[in-house]
Amino acid sequence: MIPSIPTLALDAEVTRRGALGFGLGLSASALLSPLGLHAEQLKREGRSCILVWLAGGPSQMETWDPKPGAPNAGSTKAIRTAVPGLSVAEHWPKLARRIKDVAVVRTMVGKEAAHARGTYHVHTGRRMGGPEKHPNFGAVVAAELGDPGSDLPNFVSIGKTLSSGFLGVKFAPFEVTRAGQLPANVSKGVTAPRLARRLALLKGQDDEFAEAGAKARVVEHRVLYERARRLMASPKLKSFRLDDEPASQQQAYGKSRFGQGLLVARRLIESGVPFVEVRHGGWDMHNSLFQKIEPSSADVDRGVSVLLSDLKNRGRLGQTLVIVAGEFGRTPKINKKTPAPGRDHWARNFNLLLAGGGVRGGRVVGKTSANGQEIVERPVMVEDLFQTLCRVLRIDASKELSPPNGRPLKIVDGGQAISEILG
Amino acid sequence: MSRTLALFVCLALCCSANDGLAQKKKASRKPVTLRGKNAKRSKKKSATKSQKLPALKTVADKQKFLEVIRESMPTRRVSTKIRYLPADLDNSLEYRVGRDSDFAPLIDDERFVRRVHLDLVGRPPSVKVIRDFVADETGSKRAALVNRLMKTEQFARKWARYWKNVIFHESTAPRSRTNPQALENWLTEQFRKGTSWDRIVAELVSAMPVRNKKKKKEKNAWSQKTGQNNFVLAYENKPPLLASQTARLFMGISIQCAECHDHPFDDWKREQFHELAAFFSKGKYYMPGMGNADKKTEMKPRFLLGEQPTVKLTSHQRRVAVAAYLVYNQDNYWFARSFVNRIWNELVGDGFYAVDSLGPDQECLHPSVVNRIAAVFRYRDFDPRWVFRLLTNSRAYQREIRTIEKDEELFTAVRPIRLNADQVKASVLRLTGPDRTIGRDLDREFRADPSLPQRDREGSVQQSLLLMNNATLHRKLNNGRLKKQLVMVKAPRALLNRLYLAVLSRRPTSREISRGLDHLMTVKNRAEAVEDLLWVLVNSTEFLTKR
Repeated sequence: MIPSIPTLALDAEVTRRGALGFGLGLSASALLSPLGLHAEQLKREGRSCILVWLAGGPSQMETWDPKPGAPNAGSTKAIRTAVPGLSVAEHWPKLARRIKDVAVVRTMVGKEAAHARGTYHVHTGRRMGGPEKHPNFGAVVAAELGDPGSDLPNFVSIGKTLSSGFLGVKFAPFEVTRAGQLPANVSKGVTAPRLARRLALLKGQDDEFAEAGAKARVVEHRVLYERARRLMASPKLKSFRLDDEPASQQQAYGKSRFGQGLLVARRLIESGVPFVEVRHGGWDMHNSLFQKIEPSSADVDRGVSVLLSDLKNRGRLGQTLVIVAGEFGRTPKINKKTPAPGRDHWARNFNLLLAGGGVRGGRVVGKTSANGQEIVERPVMVEDLFQTLCRVLRIDASKELSPPNGRPLKIVDGGQAISEILG
Repeated sequence: MSRTLALFVCLALCCSANDGLAQKKKASRKPVTLRGKNAKRSKKKSATKSQKLPALKTVADKQKFLEVIRESMPTRRVSTKIRYLPADLDNSLEYRVGRDSDFAPLIDDERFVRRVHLDLVGRPPSVKVIRDFVADETGSKRAALVNRLMKTEQFARKWARYWKNVIFHESTAPRSRTNPQALENWLTEQFRKGTSWDRIVAELVSAMPVRNKKKKKEKNAWSQKTGQNNFVLAYENKPPLLASQTARLFMGISIQCAECHDHPFDDWKREQFHELAAFFSKGKYYMPGMGNADKKTEMKPRFLLGEQPTVKLTSHQRRVAVAAYLVYNQDNYWFARSFVNRIWNELVGDGFYAVDSLGPDQECLHPSVVNRIAAVFRYRDFDPRWVFRLLTNSRAYQREIRTIEKDEELFTAVRPIRLNADQVKASVLRLTGPDRTIGRDLDREFRADPSLPQRDREGSVQQSLLLMNNATLHRKLNNGRLKKQLVMVKAPRALLNRLYLAVLSRRPTSREISRGLDHLMTVKNRAEAVEDLLWVLVNSTEFLTKR
C-alpha cells in the first residue's frame, strides 16, 4: 500500500537520446539502479487515478441527469439518492446510495460527436488534429507521478485505450486484455539458471553488435530487456491476478470482466501504479437503448460503488481519484431506429462522475434544461475538467511538455478547475 | 510561373468541353497545339463553356482527362536527355556533406543482400540466396539483384503495404466504410505494373466515392472495395482532413495547424488551408470564424501556390483540378520531393527532412541534392522504380551502419534502424513456419507510425516479452525444421555457420564462433544448447535491426 521507493535513475529526464550521452560505459543495469528518493514524489502522497471509461458515449438522461416527466425521457425513471434533491436514473441504485462520495458533473461541453475524436478529446484534453499526437492523460500521470524505477508499468489499461502520443513508449499504456490474469508473455518458459545463461550469451552477442556501429540501438534494446526481465521477476506481478482476493470480494465487484478489471485496478494502484484505466464497452446505444441500458448500467453501478467502498475501507479513497466518463452524450431526442428506438451522438452536453482524491462528494455541478437540450447553468469545458484532474492529482497543469519538433505544450491549455467540488 | 499553371488546368478543362472526351486522345498527341488553340477560346467564352465541361464522374473519365494534362507537361518532352546515375548522386552528396568527412566503408555482400531484401521485398533472404549471391563473381551483381527484386510481386506488395499503412495510420474512419486491404491490393497492382507515381496519386486524390444508400455500410455502400477510393474514405470525404492529409502525404508539408490559426512557425495562413480544403467540398465551402465558429466566410478553391481555376467547377471537377495542381505542376516541386524523401528515409534511415512535417520555412538538409533527385524523378515520368534503383545502387545506401547523433554525421553512414512489423514478422515466421497467432501478436506489438522519423521510433517492453517468452513462438521454434536441421549437424562450427546464416543472414564472426563453441561444449544436451542459441539470436538487437 505504501508506494515503492522511487528512484531517480530511469527518470523522465534520462531520455533515450540523453542516455546515449553517457556512452556505452554505463550499462543498462546501471541506468536502472536506484539512486535515491525523489523529493517531489513525497509531495504527491501516493496519488493515483482510476479511469472508468464507458466507451461509446453513455446517455446522460439514462445515467446521472434524468429528466423524469419530460416528453423525451422515454421509459427512464429517476430515483432519489442519499443527498436530498439529487436524483439519478433508476438504473443506478447502488451509486445513488454512495452518492456522498461522488460529484456529478452534468454540464460537460463537448465538441466532438464522432467516437474517435471524442475519445481523443476526453482522454487528452485537446481536440484531434494538428501535427501533435497528444498524450493520453494516463501517460501524463505516469510521467508526472509514476516511479521511474518501478517494476510495473506506470500506466495500465484493462482493455484498449489511446496511446501516449508524443510522450512515447516509456509512458505508453500497458494494455491487459484479460482482467485477472497475468499480462501476456511474462512467464518465462525456462528455468531461472537457463534464462540467466541465455541472457549472458545475449550480452556478448549485443556487445559485438554495438561495436559494429549499433551502439545506440543496443542501449535501447537493453533498457527494454532489463525492464522486461524485472517485470517478469517482480513480486508485484501478482497484482494482475486475483488469487489472493477472497471469493466474496471477487463476487462483490461482479464476476464480469469489468468487475474483475476494477478489482485488478485497485490492486495495481496499491502496488504503486499511478494510473489505471478500465474500459466498459457497449454504450453506443443508437437502437434499443431502453433495453440495453439496464444490464450495462447494472454492471457499472455495482462495480464502481463496490470500488468506492473498498477504497474507502482500505483508506485509499482520499488519494485515489476515480473518474467515470465516456466520449460524449446522447441526443435528448429519441430516434426511431429499429428494432427499438435509441439515442444518437450528442456532444453539446454530457455528464460524468468524479470521486475520491479529496473531491467533495454529494455535489452536482451544472444544470441542463427540462428537455436536456441546453446547458442552463455552469457549463464545464473539457479544459476545466483537466485542470480539476491535475489539481486533485497534484500535477502542475501549467508545466510544459516538449513534443519532438514542436512548440512546447502545457499539460492543460486554459480552463479553470471546478472549485466547488474541490476540498 | 504559377500563373501559367493556374491557366493550365482550366485550359485542359475547357478544351475537353469543346472537343469532348472522345476526341481527347487525338488532342493529347499534339499537346502544343492544344494549349495554343485553347488559350484563346478560354479567354473568350470560359463562363458559358464551363457548363459543358465533362462531368468527370467516373474513374475512367477522370483518368483520361488527367492524361491530357499529363501529356502537356513540358517535362514529357525533355525526359530522354536527362542522365542521373548513382555516382552523380554520391558525388554531389559527398561534396555537400564534406569530402573530408568520416564516411563509413561500403558493406560486404552478406550485409548488402540482407539489407536490400528487407528494403525491397520486406523479408530477409534465404540461406541459398545468400550463398549464391556471395559466390557470384559478376561485377554488377548488386545492380542485377536490385533489378531482379523489383520485378517480384513481393516488391509491389511491400511498398503497397507501406503506403497503405502511411495513409491509414491517422485515419479514424469507421471500419465499415473503408477497405484498407482493397487499397493495398490496388497499390500492389500499380507497383507491379510500374504505374507512375503521379497517376497513382492523381487517382487517389481525385476519387469521389458517393454513398449508395440502398446498401448496408459494410456491403460496399461507399464503394470501398474499389481500392483507389480508400484515401478519400480514410479521411471520411471531409474537406479539412483531405486538405491536410493531401499536403502531408503527397507534399510532405504540415499545414494542419493552419486549420485553426495561422501557422506559428511557417508561413501558412488559415485562408490557404481552407482554400485548399474548398477543392474537396461537395458544395460551397465555408471557413469557420476564428473566435466564433458560427461566423463563416465562404472560401473559393485555390491551391497552395496560388493556382486557381478560372471557371466554375462541379465537385467532381474540383477533385480532378486539385489532383492536377498537385501532380502536374511545375512549381510544385514538393510533390516529387516528398516521394524521394520518404523512400530515402525508409532506405537510409534519415530523410533530408521529417517526411511529413515540412513547412516552407523549415530546414531541409542538402536541398540541392534532394531537389535534383526530385527533378530527375519528374523527368523520369515519376517512375518509382527509378528512385529505388538510384538509391540502392548508391554509396549513400551501401555504407556500413553507425550510430548517428548529430546532423553533421547524417549520410556519412547508414543508421541502424528498427525493422517494421512486416519485416519482423517475415523474419520470425521464416524460422517458426507460418502461424496465425504469432503473426497477429507480432503485428500488434510492432506496429508503428510509418511516418515517424526513424530516430524517433521506439521499441516496447511488450515486444521484448513476446520475443523472450511467447509460448507458441518458442514451441514452434524448438520443434521447427531449422532446429532439427541444426541438431543434426555434427561439426559445431558448421552448426554455428548454418545458425547465423539462417537467423542473421550472415556467417558468424570469430568471437561468435568461440562463444558458440564454448556453449556447445558446456551444455551437453545438443538440442538444449541449440535452443539456447536460437533464443539468443532471435532476442538479439541485430535480429530486429536493418544492418
